[in-house]
Amino acid sequence: MKKVVSEISGIVFSIPWLIAKDNGLFEVEGIDMQFVRAQGDRENRVSYDPNEVDPILGHVPYEQNMVSIYRA
Amino acid sequence: MVRPDSPHNYPGTLGNRPVAVSFHAAAHYVSLRLLEGYIPNDKIKLVSFGSPRKRFEAMMNGEADACVVMEPWISLGEKIGCKSLAEGHYLGAENASDDMDPETFAAINRAVGRAIDMFNADKRKYLHYMIDEPNFAQVAARYGGISPEDFHLPRLRYTKDTYYSPEIVEDTYHWMVRWGLLSESACTADLVENRVAAPTPADD
Repeated sequence: MKKVVSEISGIVFSIPWLIAKDNGLFEVEGIDMQFVRAQGDRENRVSYDPNEVDPILGHVPYEQNMVSIYRA
Repeated sequence: MVRPDSPHNYPGTLGNRPVAVSFHAAAHYVSLRLLEGYIPNDKIKLVSFGSPRKRFEAMMNGEADACVVMEPWISLGEKIGCKSLAEGHYLGAENASDDMDPETFAAINRAVGRAIDMFNADKRKYLHYMIDEPNFAQVAARYGGISPEDFHLPRLRYTKDTYYSPEIVEDTYHWMVRWGLLSESACTADLVENRVAAPTPADD
């Protein structure tokens, strides 16, 4: 089995991935799929300027090479 | 989406009123696409509150006149009488790191594709993933909770990987540059590597 770590952020974006995991569909393909939650809500202040907000948002696990795939 | 008692009934009255989004996320881009059809650009007042929960709560407590959210927050809002002023969809995608080999990416896509078939065959069966997510469930409980029957199923659209045409890339690139969301020096050919073949036109 090849281990792959994927980021999970908003559940609505990841429903097929959760179904695939819970029904063994990744295993059939030889994939040991592991999930890591995105770091949501890093920005705790209200902002009026897009330039003040880090466009990476909560996808920190991807930026830090903790996961190899995410959805956006 | 606006509160049940909101005076707003269509997007045209939201000029210079705070609309809760999350900058650099889908809520940001979709809100611009929806509002620019009704309001001059300089009257669109987006405010970044962060997560869908924070945007929904900002709308409910009056910090923002409207919020831009996705499911399951739309269904929760509609259940308690909130008004949807406009609805837009966008193209989501999987983003893989450079070191993921094509065979692994294809295997993942096959598994996800089968899951998409399962979801589309019986959507309500799988809505518990959204309903039971702790962050959402905590808020939904304040309003009596939500059930699979509260969802408008055609809104939930999952498709298998498809061809991303140069025309769509170009149109999106120019739109983002116009809003200052992307550097004009970025070349679309550098941003997209199409691995799905273009559909072949049928012979007439």
